[in-house]
Amino acid sequence: MTSKAVQPGFNSSTAGMIDPVSLMRIKSMELRAKVIVEGFWKGIHRSPYHGFSVEFTEYRQYTAGDDPRYIDWRLYARSDRFYIKKFEDETNLRCHLLIDHSRSMRYGSIGYSKAQYAGTLAATLGYFLFTQGDAVGLATFDDQIRNYLPPRNRPNYLRRLMLALEALPDGQATDLGPALQRIAQMLTKRGMIVLISDLLASIDQLESDLGCLCACGHDVVVFNVLDPTELSFDFGSPALFRDIETGRDRYVDPASALADYKRKLTEHLDKVASICRSLGIDYHLFTTDRPFDLALLDFLRGRIHRRKNIRRRGGSIGRMNA
Amino acid sequence: MNFLYPLFLAGIVAIGIPIVLHMVRQKTRKHITFSSLMFVPVAMSRFKNRSRIENILLLLLRCAIIGLLAFAFSRPFFSSPISEKDVRPAKRTVLLIDTSASMRRTGLWAQAVAEAQSVLQQADRADSVCIMSFDQDTRIVMGFEQWDRLESAQRASAGAEQISELSPGWAKTNLGHALVAAAEAIEDDEINDPQQSATARRIVLVSDMQQGSELESLGAYEWPRQTRLVVKSIRPGVTTNAALQLITDRHDLAGTDANDRPRVRVMNSSDAAAEQFQFNWAGGMTAEAPNEPINVYVAPGRSVVVRAPTTANGQPGRRLILTGDDHDFDNTLHVAPSLQQPINILYIGGDDPNDSKEMLFYLRQAFGATGVLAPRVVSHPGDKDIAAAEVAKADLIIATDPVNQQNIATLRRHIESGRALLLVMKTAGAGKMLADFAQIDNVKAEEAEVDGYAMLDRIEFTHPLLVPFSEPGFGDFTQIHFWKYRRIDAADLPGARVLARFDTDDPALLEIPLGKGSLLVLTSGWRRADSQLALSSKFVPLLYSILEFGGFHTRQQLQYFVGDSVPVLRSTAYESANIRIRKPDGSVISLDPAEQTFTQTDQPGIYTIESDTENRFFAVNLSAQECRTSPMPIEEIEGLGVLLDQSGDVHIGKIEKAQHHSNLADMEYEQKLWRRLLTALLAVALFETALAGWLTRSVPAPQGEQT
Repeated sequence: MTSKAVQPGFNSSTAGMIDPVSLMRIKSMELRAKVIVEGFWKGIHRSPYHGFSVEFTEYRQYTAGDDPRYIDWRLYARSDRFYIKKFEDETNLRCHLLIDHSRSMRYGSIGYSKAQYAGTLAATLGYFLFTQGDAVGLATFDDQIRNYLPPRNRPNYLRRLMLALEALPDGQATDLGPALQRIAQMLTKRGMIVLISDLLASIDQLESDLGCLCACGHDVVVFNVLDPTELSFDFGSPALFRDIETGRDRYVDPASALADYKRKLTEHLDKVASICRSLGIDYHLFTTDRPFDLALLDFLRGRIHRRKNIRRRGGSIGRMNA
Repeated sequence: MNFLYPLFLAGIVAIGIPIVLHMVRQKTRKHITFSSLMFVPVAMSRFKNRSRIENILLLLLRCAIIGLLAFAFSRPFFSSPISEKDVRPAKRTVLLIDTSASMRRTGLWAQAVAEAQSVLQQADRADSVCIMSFDQDTRIVMGFEQWDRLESAQRASAGAEQISELSPGWAKTNLGHALVAAAEAIEDDEINDPQQSATARRIVLVSDMQQGSELESLGAYEWPRQTRLVVKSIRPGVTTNAALQLITDRHDLAGTDANDRPRVRVMNSSDAAAEQFQFNWAGGMTAEAPNEPINVYVAPGRSVVVRAPTTANGQPGRRLILTGDDHDFDNTLHVAPSLQQPINILYIGGDDPNDSKEMLFYLRQAFGATGVLAPRVVSHPGDKDIAAAEVAKADLIIATDPVNQQNIATLRRHIESGRALLLVMKTAGAGKMLADFAQIDNVKAEEAEVDGYAMLDRIEFTHPLLVPFSEPGFGDFTQIHFWKYRRIDAADLPGARVLARFDTDDPALLEIPLGKGSLLVLTSGWRRADSQLALSSKFVPLLYSILEFGGFHTRQQLQYFVGDSVPVLRSTAYESANIRIRKPDGSVISLDPAEQTFTQTDQPGIYTIESDTENRFFAVNLSAQECRTSPMPIEEIEGLGVLLDQSGDVHIGKIEKAQHHSNLADMEYEQKLWRRLLTALLAVALFETALAGWLTRSVPAPQGEQT
């Protein structure tokens, strides 16, 4: 689990990465995701993290009796050897991308909104998983589930997924509780749930709702996406602020309100991180100026870290059982 | 402190604009849309913030600019007391008195004098008055300067005395010209006395306002806006007025019937009460020559044309008198006796007057008798001596045959005295006679060889002889064909001027100046063998043109109106310097030889032009317009742009206000406080600009999403 709070202007590891502002100028969501993922794969060969996969553990030589369905034909094409992909649960992953389309996600100060960033991030993850043969589904929500695509891995399904992600958000206020409860009811099979949201809502019920998902056996990953201005709150002179979520106006002097604002925001984010940590959920806090490559990398790191913890936990349990 | 234009102080209200703007900007200047305000603490209420005004100093400066601007425009000044004398307005008045012939009607003039004197009595001490009288012309009786020079106590009496010396004349009424002259007199006086430019202007018109008044001059005049016309209309007790007017027609000019009686128009005024009138020659009812008067019935506002009554001797009389109306001033019509004017034409040649192949025949036909002219053609052989008296009596001399040397000397003296002689070259031998007249050795003349016919070309229409033909409709000589002519060279004749040439470029008509007169040479003739000239329409006008070129003048008209200029024509018989004109009242006026016109036709009647040899007559009557005595609607004057003031009060209140304002304006002009205010305004504006610029630079640029 990764719960590292990302500070605005974090760019120590962004050298050589694709600038999100430039990337967002690409109109097609599928093309955008393809650029990120293929760039990521090219870089991965030069990195020490080669061979990573979501649930993929290792390749092993095909032996008689193995199910030929799991032969990696691409690898066979490259190496003229039969290898079998070995998975954690020996089954295909079912991933649900759960994206917040509430009004607050429309805010953006660097040329694009949080919703656009969240959509591109979801497309990147979906493309990445889809190319691995995993089934990817999509659900958008505000105060309830608005759009739902069940997890599939069929030809042309990726395009449908991308078209759904390209749709602009038209939701209302954020309320995580009903959406998460509804998802828990809908998903009968275990899988991975990736929640992408700004989480700018009441989190009183967040622990119980996420806990419900975890209890159902789902592997939950939370991407908390914020605009850099939402962290810094540097607006200079006093102004009339309009809350997108509620539509209310309020006269605010940012200079005088800054300290109080930062304190409350930090408390909120710490509380969210604490809830995720207690439930064993991967929690990633991103600002919308963070390159998508790094976001994907953080995600995979979190998966490796989680797999090691499970193995370690499984080993210790086995020794205890013995 | 006072203000010249206090209404501009209302502009101070505009100070509220910057105040409101400074408050409004708090509300609307910056809007930011933010994702969620759940972490933003609740600050001060919006309404409290909105009422807060930023940049107080800037606001005060802006308010000061508007205040100073309004203050400067209201033109403040420190007042000093103005005496009532200064404020009190004076009046500039022109008293315009009608002295036309229509004012001779019974009782009118006495009313007019009384009315004029009452106007003078009402004049204030500060008023300035000018008295003018008018009929056809306008005359100043007492000018503004003359009025102002007098002691205030004497002014009214002096003016009344001048008015009492006036009396109505016989001229017509030119009211338009008189009003324009009066308005201009006021304006001229105002230019001379600019101190009283704010005084009231008025023209008091004392007139019978008859319908025959001329108003044309007003149409071309822009009436001054400050000048008002006060009309004191004089009305007679009885209104029936009929008049006589002589009508001249072409029968009278032709004189076909000397016994024709003159035709007369009888006019009745539109406000007449009577319709039955009579008229007869003066003295027609005498026992020696009794004749019946003519009874005419004329409805009001209509006219009737009738012939004058016959007289016992068959000749028209001198005066026609109308009876039956209330006013006599226009009841007499003067008729000048008509006399035929003799013309003596001397033809030097041996032609048979009845031979239609010769020129004399056509000459006699051309100079036929008319109603006003009695030409007499006398032919004389050229080789016999001609008496000098006969030559001197001739109005036109035409020489066609060679003349002896004595006759040439006589004729040449006649020409040199300022007359003209027409030399017609019947043959080439006439060149000798031409040389004798021109006093040169010889003039080469020969019969020209004409191919078919020759036409006149290159005619000098600017010459007095040919000016009558200069109009486009009369200048076509191409239809006159010349079969024969005599060729001479104009260069042989010193000083000769070619007035017309043939199309072969040979001279056709020449003028050779001799002394004061001219010798005219026609190189062809009008007999049938030479040309078609005698048969053309140009022949008679050309002969009469030569007659007038030689100094003959037809007599002047016989009928004129009062005020007309009468041209005095001095023909040979009347060339004497001792021309006298006897007026109807018996007074005699001698005319200088240089005077060509007689202008003192100031009374109706028969005028006699007396000279050493003969008396001539012309009649002067009242203008027909002056006889139209029915009252004119006042709207006619108003319609021509004249501003009327029937009450006689020329907006004294307005004038008082204008003069008071003028005094205040003078005071403000001397102090010129507005200049200092504008200087202060500029200084404040500069400071405000600098301060606003500094404040703008010091404000940091806003960030985040703004709308």
